Amino acid sequence: MIRTARREVAKRVFSKEFNASKFKIGGEGEKEAVYVLTPLGLRCNRLFIVGVLLEKEEVKPDSDMWRIRISDPTGAFLGFVSKFQPEALESLADLNPPEIVAVTAKAKLLERDDRVIPLIRPETINVSDFETRDYWVLETAKATLKRIKAIERGEEKLAIEKYNPNLEEFRMTAIQALMKLKEEQSILEKEEKTKEEEKDEEEEKDLGFELDEEIVDLSDFEIGD
Amino acid sequence: MAENRFQAIVEEIYERFKSYGVSRKEIENRLKLLLYEFKVPEEEARRTIINGLRKNYNIVKGDLKPSITKISEIEPNTWVSLKAKVVQLWEPNSPAIAQTGLIGDETGITRFVVWAKANKKRLEEGKCYLFERVVVDEFMGLKSVKVTSASEVKEIDEPIEVKDENAEVEVVGALVSIQQNSGLIQVCKLCGRVVKAGVCVEHGKVEANEVLRLKSVLDDGERTYDLILDEKIINSLTGIGLREARKLAEEHLDRGVVLLELKKRLLGKYLRVKGELRFRTLNAKSAEFYKPRIIEEVEKVLEEAGA
Ligand SMILES: [Zn+2]
Repeated sequence: MIRTARREVAKRVFSKEFNASKFKIGGEGEKEAVYVLTPLGLRCNRLFIVGVLLEKEEVKPDSDMWRIRISDPTGAFLGFVSKFQPEALESLADLNPPEIVAVTAKAKLLERDDRVIPLIRPETINVSDFETRDYWVLETAKATLKRIKAIERGEEKLAIEKYNPNLEEFRMTAIQALMKLKEEQSILEKEEKTKEEEKDEEEEKDLGFELDEEIVDLSDFEIGD
Repeated sequence: MAENRFQAIVEEIYERFKSYGVSRKEIENRLKLLLYEFKVPEEEARRTIINGLRKNYNIVKGDLKPSITKISEIEPNTWVSLKAKVVQLWEPNSPAIAQTGLIGDETGITRFVVWAKANKKRLEEGKCYLFERVVVDEFMGLKSVKVTSASEVKEIDEPIEVKDENAEVEVVGALVSIQQNSGLIQVCKLCGRVVKAGVCVEHGKVEANEVLRLKSVLDDGERTYDLILDEKIINSLTGIGLREARKLAEEHLDRGVVLLELKKRLLGKYLRVKGELRFRTLNAKSAEFYKPRIIEEVEKVLEEAGA
């Protein structure tokens, strides 16, 4: 039986953590995948991101190579889309920033001179919505906090050795993202409530009018079943 | 010798003889004596203690098969031996873990972890093994079996019928990919495989049925599932059933349009799926767009983080 290679999981990571990555691991054997190692020890080959497409810009005129930026609550992912990602390229043509998008992408480190630039190569880009974005932020914050705990337990030796990450800083980033979500959500709920209350009041006014027995004699209506 | 290895041997012997009233202390003392004072190799020390106890308590050899615990009976913080089948392998999310997934026997299924440090031969999905001296722990109410350097794992040749191997599971994840031969497709009437230009790889030129089906990937950030959605579920999620799909294809003179439209509506969305899990393939019985109460979840996570 032929077994296909296991599909790489799309990891959840905030741009702040991803953009602080400087090292790759894996890729030793011919078949072994290459992973970006983040400061919190995440090994990622593929990412799933829901954020705001802020910019799309053709790198050179008529090159059909597009530079994009997708923001999350902590910063922005830099990405490139070209003819090698036909599905993403096609979707991108219909998008006008700013727009909320859900993206599945390959995680890459570009080495230029003495700089290392983390970036993404989207495989698919789809229009998304605020609700999905909020859930992504929650899920990603949870994953971030879990990684911090693993480091505190001394499990991610390689990440500690390579980056010696400032855990408090990453923890605060995740917590602030959650706090913001909480504020926005409670504002939304309040708005909902006020709308409902106004609607209730209006309905009562309506009813008050209809039920005015001096105007409408209910006995005029036949009440069938 | 590592402390956990020492404890594993003590526990293993204790489990075998505890019903005869042997204490852990007694075993520990004998093991210490043999290992550290007499510097006896560990396997010899183990055998000597077992033989000694057997003599002391007058136990016939046949009564002392290594006792195998059933998965439904494993308790946290104990060392046990299991016979189980590897039902699923997942991608480990930490370099400290060599392998992780699910194992099962006729009484149930549990998670398992093989530590990288344990240095074991890789387990294969679908194969059965004797797991000796593995430790059970519990995290967030989920039991899990850990294979450490103190454990032995041997492949065995007896089939194990896993209970509820195809039980319904519920998974929440993002739909990150939809395969190309999905959507409104022609499948072989005999075997259900996708036919290309009227030809089935197995049956050659065949009659074909037109069906609406999606092969996709659901990804929860820790593992992926090959998710199969049938017409009923596609319809419940998108409002596009076989009839609508055919109409769409006719209008555009292209079946591919259906796939494009379904991708537009489903890719990147979070789904809650109930279905039957067979290795990595999740056959959906029902699916809905996931709409959690985010604010409550956020508060819970903030509280746990002490913020
Ligand atoms: Zn066939």
